[in-house]
Amino acid sequence: MIELKNVSKSFGSNTILRNISLKIPPGQTTAIVGPSGTGKSVTLKHIVGLLRPDEGQVMCFGTDMASASEKELFAVRRRFGMLFQDGALFDSFSVGENVSFPLEHHAPNMSRSERRERVEEKLRLVGLPGIYERPTSALSGGQRKRVGLARAIVMEPEVILFDEPNSGLDPITSDAIDALIQEMKEALGITFIIISHDIVGTVNVADHIAMLYDGNLVAFEPTDRFVRLDNEIVRKFLRRNLVLPEGPDEVARLPGLK
Amino acid sequence: MTNFFAGLGRYGLWCIQFLRAVLTHGPPKGQTLHEAFRIGIKSLPILLIISAFVGTNLALQGYNAFKPLGGQRLVGMFVALAGVRELAPIIAAAMIAAKAGTEMASQIGVMRIREQVDALEVMAVNPLAFLVAPRLIGIVLMLPALTLIAIFVMMSAAYAVSVFQLGLAGHEFIQFASESIAPIDFFYGAIKAMFFGLIICTVSCYFGFHCGKGPEGVGTATNRAVVTSSVICIVLNYFVSELLYGGAL
Amino acid sequence: MLNALAALGRFGGFSVAIAARLVRRPLFFGHILNQTWVTTTRCLLPVVAVTFPFGMVMALQGLEIFRLFGAERMLASLISIATLREISPVLASVLVAAQGGSSCAASLGAMRIKEELDATEVMAIDAIKYHVAPRVVAMTIACPLLNIAGSVSGVAGGYFTAVFIKGESGGTFMAELWSFMQPIDLYGGVLKTTVFGLLIGLISCYHGYRASGGAAGVGKAVNDTVVHSVVAFITMNYFLTSALFGSVSP
Repeated sequence: MIELKNVSKSFGSNTILRNISLKIPPGQTTAIVGPSGTGKSVTLKHIVGLLRPDEGQVMCFGTDMASASEKELFAVRRRFGMLFQDGALFDSFSVGENVSFPLEHHAPNMSRSERRERVEEKLRLVGLPGIYERPTSALSGGQRKRVGLARAIVMEPEVILFDEPNSGLDPITSDAIDALIQEMKEALGITFIIISHDIVGTVNVADHIAMLYDGNLVAFEPTDRFVRLDNEIVRKFLRRNLVLPEGPDEVARLPGLK
Repeated sequence: MTNFFAGLGRYGLWCIQFLRAVLTHGPPKGQTLHEAFRIGIKSLPILLIISAFVGTNLALQGYNAFKPLGGQRLVGMFVALAGVRELAPIIAAAMIAAKAGTEMASQIGVMRIREQVDALEVMAVNPLAFLVAPRLIGIVLMLPALTLIAIFVMMSAAYAVSVFQLGLAGHEFIQFASESIAPIDFFYGAIKAMFFGLIICTVSCYFGFHCGKGPEGVGTATNRAVVTSSVICIVLNYFVSELLYGGAL
Repeated sequence: MLNALAALGRFGGFSVAIAARLVRRPLFFGHILNQTWVTTTRCLLPVVAVTFPFGMVMALQGLEIFRLFGAERMLASLISIATLREISPVLASVLVAAQGGSSCAASLGAMRIKEELDATEVMAIDAIKYHVAPRVVAMTIACPLLNIAGSVSGVAGGYFTAVFIKGESGGTFMAELWSFMQPIDLYGGVLKTTVFGLLIGLISCYHGYRASGGAAGVGKAVNDTVVHSVVAFITMNYFLTSALFGSVSP
C-alpha cells in the first residue's frame, strides 16, 4: 500500500535521505525514529507528496507520489489524515470549523447537520466533547493536538500520519497523547505512521519500528525484535533515551513496556 | 542584478501556477465579497487622510508654480489633471500596498511557517485557489471605488485650501477643474488602479508563500512585499501612462 | 478614541525615553554610523527606482499640457520645483518607511519575540540605548540623504523623457532648470525629510519594540509602522509646506 523505493533527497549539499527503501505494513502502526535532523519529517513529507525525492519512487495506493499530477496527488491525499507538530489549525476558524474543513471541501453532499454530527463525534473520540464553538486561539498545546487529530480522522481515512505527536508537551500531557493514540489504534484499526523521538511511548504503541540514522535506514523490525536488536546504533538510541539499563534484555524488562 | 531577474522569473512562474490553480479549482465563492469589503473598509480611513493632504499640497504648490505667470487661477486645472490622472491611482495603490498588502504577506507568511499551508495541501485543497484568489478578487473590486473616493477627497481638500487659505475664487476652481477632465480620465484611473492592485496582491502573496523561518521570516516577507510592490507599481506607472495618455490627448 | 489617545501618550513617552538616552555617554557612534550606512544603502535603489519614473511621468503629462500653449520651456522649472519641494521628499520618505522603517520594525520585533531585548537588559545593557536609539538617529540622517538622491534622480527622469523620448532641447532644459530655483527649494526638501525621517524612526522602533504575539505580531508591527508613518508624514507635510512654501513663488 505505501512503499518507498530507493528514495534519495538532498537539500543543497546536505544529503538527508540516502537510498531509503521501506514498505509500510498496512493496518498496523509503524514508528519512524531517530535522532533530530535525520530526515524523519522529510520522509513523512515524501509519503504525502509535500516533497518530491531526487531519486526513487514513493508508491501510495498504486500512485507514485514523486511524479504524480496535482489531480492524482489530491485523490491519494483524500485517503490520508495528518497530524502536524503544532496542529496546524487555522486561527481564524473555531474548533468546529477547523474539524469540518475537510468535510466542506470533499463531502459537499453532506448536510450541515450531518457534518456537525460527524465533527462532534470525532471531537468526543479525541476526548474533547462540546468545544465546537471555541476559538482556536484559546486552546492549550495538548488540546491543539487533539483537535488536529480530530480533523485528521474526520474524513475517516485509511492512513494517519503523526509528525512528532509528543513534541512541545509536558510529561503528563505527553502520556495522555500516547494513551489517546493507543485508543485510536484500537478503535480504528487503520495504518498509523508515527514520527517520534519519544522512545517509551513509541515502543508501547508501535507494531513496527524503523530507525533512520544519518540518512540511512539502519533497522526496520517488529517492535519486540527491535528492542532486542544487536545493532550498536539501535542499542545506543534505546539506551540513551531510557537512560537506565545495559543491553537489550534489560530494556525489554523495563516497567511501562509490554 | 542576476538575483533580481531570477526573482522575477520565480515570481512569473508562481503567477502561472496561480492562474492554473484558479482555472482548475475556481475561487471559494462565499468569501470573496466579504474579503472585498474588509479590504476596502480597513483601508478607507488612511486613504481619506492621505488623499486630503496630497490635495492640499497640490493646491499649494500649483499656486506657487503658476503665480509668477499670473496663472494662479489655473490651480483648479492643475490639481484636476495631476490628481485624477496620476496621483489618485497611485495613492489608492499605495494605501492598499501599505495596509492590505502587508497584511496579506504577513498572514500567509505566518500560515506558511506554522505548517498551515502544508496542512491545506495534505487535505487536498489548493492553497493558491483558497488563500490568494479571494484576496485578489477583493482587491481588484475595491480599487476603482477607492480611487474615486481618493479623487473626490483630494479635490475637496484642494478646493478648501485654494479658497480658504489662498483666497482664490471657488467657482473658477471648479470650472477649470471640470473643463480639464473628461469622463474617460476616471475610467483610465480606475483601470490603472486595478492593474496596480493585481500587482500588489500577487507580489505580497508571493512573498508570503516564500516566507523564511520564524518571526524574522515573516518580518522580511512583509518588508519585501511592500517595497517590491510599490516600486513595481511606480515604474510600470510610467508605461501605463504613456500608453493611455501619451500623444493621444 | 480613548485608545488612540492612550497610544499617542505611550508613543510620546517612548520618544522622550529615546531622547534621554541620546544625551548621555557612551553614544555608540560606531553603531549609529553602521545603521545609517545600512539604511541608506538598502533604501537607495528603491528610492531611485521610484523617483526616476515619476520624473518621467511628470515630463510626459507636463509636456502634453504645455505643448497646447506652446509653453514647453516651462517644463524644466515645473519638474525641478515639483520634484525638489514635494515629490522627492514624499516618495523618498514613503520608501524609507516601506524599506527602512519596516525592516527596523521587523528586526526589533523579532528581537522582542525571541526575547533578545530582555536578554540585553538582563546583561545590564540598556536595550533602548543600544538597539533603539541608533536606529532612530540613522533614519533621521538617512532620509534627507536619500531625498537628495531622489531629487537628482527625479530631475534626471524628467530630463530623460523630455529630451530623449519627446525630443525637447537638452540645453534649454538645463538652462531653465536653474532659472527658477531658489535656495529654499534645496533646503526645504532636506528639512522636510529630516523631520519625516525622525518620525519614521520613532514610529518603526515603537512598533517593533512593543511587538507581541509571536510571528504574527512581527507582521502586525511592520504593517502598523508603514501605515502610521505614511499618515504621519503626509499630514506633517501639509503643515511644513504651508510654513516653508506658503507664499514662495519661483
